Amino acid sequence: MRNWSLLYIVMAVLSVIVCIYAPFDPNWRLPPNVSTTGREVDHLFELIMGITGLTFVGVSIAFGIAAWKFTDAPGRKAKYMHGSQRLEIVWTVIPAGILVFIALYQMGTWTKIKFRSEAPRVQPIAEVSARQFQWLMVYPGPDGRLHTPDDLHTVNDLHFVKGKPALIYLKSQDVIHSFFLPQMRIKQDALPGMTIPVWFDSDTASTSEHPFELVCAELCGWGHYKMRSKVVVHETQAEFDEWVKQSLKEQNRDQLKSAKTTTAAVEHKGGESL
Amino acid sequence: MTSRLLLTPAVGVLLLLSGCGTIWDAPVGYSESPKLTGGELKGKTKLQKAVRAQLDKLYGPNPRDIRVFPGSGLFNGGTSLANLVKEGKKVREVKYEVVDSITGKKSIKTQHGGYSLYRRHCLHCHGVSGDGAGPTAPYLYPRPRDYRPGIFKFTSTGLNKPTRDDLRKTLLYGIAGTSMPAFDAMLSADEIDQVVEYVVFLSMRGETELGLIDIASTVDEKDAATELSDEVGLDTAKVVANKWVQASNLVVDPPIPRVIADEASVKRGRELYLGLNKTGGKVECVACHGPQAHGDGPSFVDKTVFDKVVFWEKSIDEAIDEIYEHMIFEHEGKVEAAKNPKDVPPLIAKKEFAAKVKKAWGESLDDWQNPLRPANLTLGRYKGGRRPIDLYWRIANGINGAKMPGHASAIKPEQIWDLVNFVIQLPYDPNMLENAPPPPAAAVAER
Ligand SMILES: [Cu+2]
Repeated sequence: MRNWSLLYIVMAVLSVIVCIYAPFDPNWRLPPNVSTTGREVDHLFELIMGITGLTFVGVSIAFGIAAWKFTDAPGRKAKYMHGSQRLEIVWTVIPAGILVFIALYQMGTWTKIKFRSEAPRVQPIAEVSARQFQWLMVYPGPDGRLHTPDDLHTVNDLHFVKGKPALIYLKSQDVIHSFFLPQMRIKQDALPGMTIPVWFDSDTASTSEHPFELVCAELCGWGHYKMRSKVVVHETQAEFDEWVKQSLKEQNRDQLKSAKTTTAAVEHKGGESL
Repeated sequence: MTSRLLLTPAVGVLLLLSGCGTIWDAPVGYSESPKLTGGELKGKTKLQKAVRAQLDKLYGPNPRDIRVFPGSGLFNGGTSLANLVKEGKKVREVKYEVVDSITGKKSIKTQHGGYSLYRRHCLHCHGVSGDGAGPTAPYLYPRPRDYRPGIFKFTSTGLNKPTRDDLRKTLLYGIAGTSMPAFDAMLSADEIDQVVEYVVFLSMRGETELGLIDIASTVDEKDAATELSDEVGLDTAKVVANKWVQASNLVVDPPIPRVIADEASVKRGRELYLGLNKTGGKVECVACHGPQAHGDGPSFVDKTVFDKVVFWEKSIDEAIDEIYEHMIFEHEGKVEAAKNPKDVPPLIAKKEFAAKVKKAWGESLDDWQNPLRPANLTLGRYKGGRRPIDLYWRIANGINGAKMPGHASAIKPEQIWDLVNFVIQLPYDPNMLENAPPPPAAAVAER
């Protein structure tokens, strides 16, 4: 039976190796952070990971030793003991203390990300509506106001400007979805019937070819995985305005003359086969 | 002890060998048109066999063994359909590099060509054969498209086949207000093109099947071999292929640019919509789309009937029963409240009512025999796209397979633009139809 203890010891050792290796492999962790509050989120993540990781290793070692040392052996007798009050108090008070510390320590970050009083005083960049199974974005257009005829409508395409706080209004048209920007460490549920402000920023630009991601983080139905959107962070406000202008030009297209194909894809010439 | 430790991996290996193995190797088959074994061809096994044989020769017997006939018009001889393509006697293996559209990472592993992408992203609704009967299809309204009749709703070519660009647009941006999602952020441009080719392939296969069934229906069984020869098969397929090849030459460009969307134009559009215009041709928008443009005009089956059948999954008879019961209740109330009960007009007889509803129901089905409703134009949700040119196409050419007729012959292009301007303005200004007169009694839209 003693061999069972080996299993626990091997598990603990493997877990430690994985925990040490993970931060060095970009595929094993979250993508690099690009936002201001994201740094604090990462710090909290690493702190909590450290605390729970150390606890896990400690518990595993204790478990391994106990299983090895006190294993069943011929002639060995079980001993009765009532328990230790001192031990009980120790292993209740220490975790409780850690929990209270974490709860207080993260409050500032939570406030910055979630409290409406902390929302940046800027015009919303867009209204984002989640539906099964896509993200619908409405941008205010040249008049700066939402729900007017000059609005720009996109599907799965979120744009904002580098280094500036971006505010969106989040809605859901059907069930609960979750607006998750992994690169910006932002996650907010979208609830039907509610309009929720969400804000974030980015210190790094991205392009339409290599965008950041917006994904749904709440299993919302069979097409949940299809709720993936591009996130393009423009280098300057001028670049963003130019994108709005060009997109509106296409949205207002009335004739095909000088039309380009919708993607840069291969032109299909019918009738030819090999 | 050790035996029990060994058991776990052993069971795992067994599961891998039996369960998973068979899932991957199981044959994936195309479904058949019900017309092949029913209708004219019922019991005529020789003819059925001949049709099947021709289809297998032209398109391959199953999605794992795809064949393309010479002159199919499919991109690069059909090489984007799957990893293994047989053209005539040549067999070529085509490998694809898959690029993650978000990270730009390249890999060459699981996805090869249109079939694999289709299987992963589309098959669960549109089905192996493109018959719109995949496992998730029954939960959707509107139902996913059945490509096999070769009819596509949102085209730039009127009643003709869509162009590759039309299909690409549907894949990239989805269809607003339906369950068709947008794939722009999921797939690379190259992958989108592969799926488009595969959809065209499935549609060509389905339409060829229908063509062969048509021929078989007119033939005597003993002539099966001669009347459904390889030559006939290839000719039938080529007729279909040619329609797809021609599509790019049939794109309709509005002859004049959009009329400026000022107040006067929107007002003219409103008058056209309501059929109040004094000059120019007349259109009957209001008959289907309704006086307030809520998609509840008198030419369509009543919304309560529609909702009961489509969303509450009642049969049409159950729906009629329930509604009629309610009508009796309301009628009794009226009689009780009236000073002189004789003043209340008598209730329509149930038989007559049922016949009326059923007739309206039959006239409200699309070409795939699925129920549909006219668009609610106050929502700002446009299935075929929100660009003015998209709306022009819908109004001028109609919507294939649906009840929306083309109006290009009834009104002038500038009038179509007035209507487009009105439709674009309406969601922001729904009061425009507040005091609209009720439409004349049921006039059925004709295409
Ligand atoms: Cu979702």
